[in-house]
Amino acid sequence: MAMDREISEKRKRQCLKWVEISKGIVRQAFERFKPEELGITWTGGKDSTLTLWIIRQVCEEKKLPLPKTMIIGEGDEFLEIEEFVERIKKEWNVPLEVCRNEDVLKAAHYKLNAAVKVRDLNDRNRAELERIGFDEEEFPFEAESYVGNHLMKTVVFNEFLERNKIKGIFQGLRWDEHPARFNDEYFEYKEGGYLMPEHTRIRPILHFTEKDLWDTYAAFKIPYCSLYEKGYRSLGAKTTSLISMEGVPAWEQDLENTEERAGRRQDKEKAMERMRKLGYM
Amino acid sequence: MSEIVGPGCQRGIPGNLEMPLAVERLPNGNTLIADAGDEAGFGSEIIEVNSVGSIVWNYNEGLRFAHSGRRLKNGNTLITDTTNNRLIEVHPDKRIVMNSDEWGRGTGHLSDGSHLHYPNEAFELGDGTFLVTDRNNDRCIQVDRNGKVIWSFEKELHHPHHANVLPNGNILIADSDGNRILEVNRKKEIIWSYGDGSKETLWWPRGALRMRNGNTVITDSKNHRILEVTREGKRVWTFQTDHVDKFYITSVTEQGTFLIASTDGHHQVIEVDRTGNIVWLFRNYRRPAPIYARLTNGFFKEVGEDGIPRHWVLATRLSEGGGRLIWDYENKPYPCPGLDYDRPGGLFLQQNIAVKAGETYRVGAEIKTIEVQGVACLHIDFYDALGGSLYRDITEMPSGEYFTGTNDWSHDLFEVKVPQQATFAQIRLAINHSGKVFIRNLMMNPM
Repeated sequence: MAMDREISEKRKRQCLKWVEISKGIVRQAFERFKPEELGITWTGGKDSTLTLWIIRQVCEEKKLPLPKTMIIGEGDEFLEIEEFVERIKKEWNVPLEVCRNEDVLKAAHYKLNAAVKVRDLNDRNRAELERIGFDEEEFPFEAESYVGNHLMKTVVFNEFLERNKIKGIFQGLRWDEHPARFNDEYFEYKEGGYLMPEHTRIRPILHFTEKDLWDTYAAFKIPYCSLYEKGYRSLGAKTTSLISMEGVPAWEQDLENTEERAGRRQDKEKAMERMRKLGYM
Repeated sequence: MSEIVGPGCQRGIPGNLEMPLAVERLPNGNTLIADAGDEAGFGSEIIEVNSVGSIVWNYNEGLRFAHSGRRLKNGNTLITDTTNNRLIEVHPDKRIVMNSDEWGRGTGHLSDGSHLHYPNEAFELGDGTFLVTDRNNDRCIQVDRNGKVIWSFEKELHHPHHANVLPNGNILIADSDGNRILEVNRKKEIIWSYGDGSKETLWWPRGALRMRNGNTVITDSKNHRILEVTREGKRVWTFQTDHVDKFYITSVTEQGTFLIASTDGHHQVIEVDRTGNIVWLFRNYRRPAPIYARLTNGFFKEVGEDGIPRHWVLATRLSEGGGRLIWDYENKPYPCPGLDYDRPGGLFLQQNIAVKAGETYRVGAEIKTIEVQGVACLHIDFYDALGGSLYRDITEMPSGEYFTGTNDWSHDLFEVKVPQQATFAQIRLAINHSGKVFIRNLMMNPM
């Protein structure tokens, strides 16, 4: 679906400017890397879909096919996201690879919270566990745990880069989504290391605020996943994503004064007041 | 396997200046400094250093988080021994000649039936009595050497840290958690104030002094600056550094320079002139806790002889004499540690880790809480090359979830980007107010 919200001409011009800045970053990426050395990370969420939409425009202008696109299958996806991804894949002709850590899924018998025995995993996954300092015999299969997150997302990401010899990978991160992102750069070179291929992370939409992003969706009728209309502001795994405001579309919520990744952290402000009582630090 | 990249030193070495809080220039030209000690509660002392930085006198017997040492007219030194909730007067030969613990027939009670609670500052008045900032009782009192309360002001105060008398007899009070400076007269009327309560004007001001020209010098601690304001509230001079340095107390010397104690920000005392030049500096700091190459014993399997997880530090400096490390022995496959806390202040279990500036790390653990009335969380503090935290306030530090109340084991996962000025990280399990928090399976790796 696309939004039929009215955006003023002035605001539309602002959004276009942000889009043009992003396209500039994408063009630079195509100058630095061969098309086959580039990859895209996509989740079906608002940030990576906007990024994909922008890359697609640059590809059309350069008459190039879209770079290889990865989507991580964690085994805990929303049906709405799956349907949206399937539709856009067809409409935009996305060369999509669904990437999952099949070895872990198998060891967990494809069941959430199942105990995964480390000895049931393959060499690569065992080496990955050693690398991050995990030396237990088992762990529960949960995408949002440290171990789950690493095996289901980071390892799968690194393997995608390796398998496709990707040197530059597009990511849909934004500065305002999380304090840890404030100083992110459009191009970040990552040195290779043990189990980690050398690559450059390219983040064309860093400068979009959450509000800019939704206004851009409305201004250019960009399709998005229906869950955002139900009140989700940030989508992750099904069991850990929470609706911020029931029935209130993401773009109608108070984007500037509340946390994008709310849910569990909603009462952080109150908690901060309690924390501040410590004084000395 | 542990790999140390920055070794620590022995704790409590006399003269190692971990956290200078109060400072004054003595008539003989020496400088008297109160050192509150290290994060584990060791090394609190009063030191007197001469102009070339040699330590000519010190007192460190039994002090816990001492906030001030003031030289009296009789040559003795008055010390607020903060965590011990007492005021002592020490002779140059280190004999205690007055101890507030002996007031009230050995109960430590003052004549009004109260007890000193976290006293921060004490000054001698002209008549030989003392003006004490009794922080956790939210008051400022005048007491004699026998604990008789002669005057007291508690109206509207929120954790005052510093009070001194003006030539006209009025009292100038730094009401730290109220973000204000107050001048009150003997009739307990507020006749002047600075700060509207907002952090922008004053954030946790730790001290204020009236200068000869009638202006007031304020140590605006969490804004890491020193301000001079006129009677009318106009700011006429500011000393501010571009790094975070939580200045604690400023005093004005006979020469018109400012002596500033910079806490565990940069572990030093600096003297600056009107143009902001540092004209004298005393720094004698070595970090007691080592810096590990990577997170070490994050699964808490190894336990030290002291019952604390090996390679971890139980930071009790701010725990106001309470709190302890506990173990959940029911936890499988092996026990996991926790913090049990019961009062104002806070308790931390922490470790220093080498990090690369600009790198993003993923940090995660499982956390369980029981009846936490304040907040429990896992957070990361970053330190600059002089060993000072890069954050003005604990709430600015990157953290996982803030837990309150009772929560069963839950995953806490967050990302941190290492600031450019950072030289190492300190990862902490923190709790304040009261309750219990447990931790297991802690990991931290670059992304």
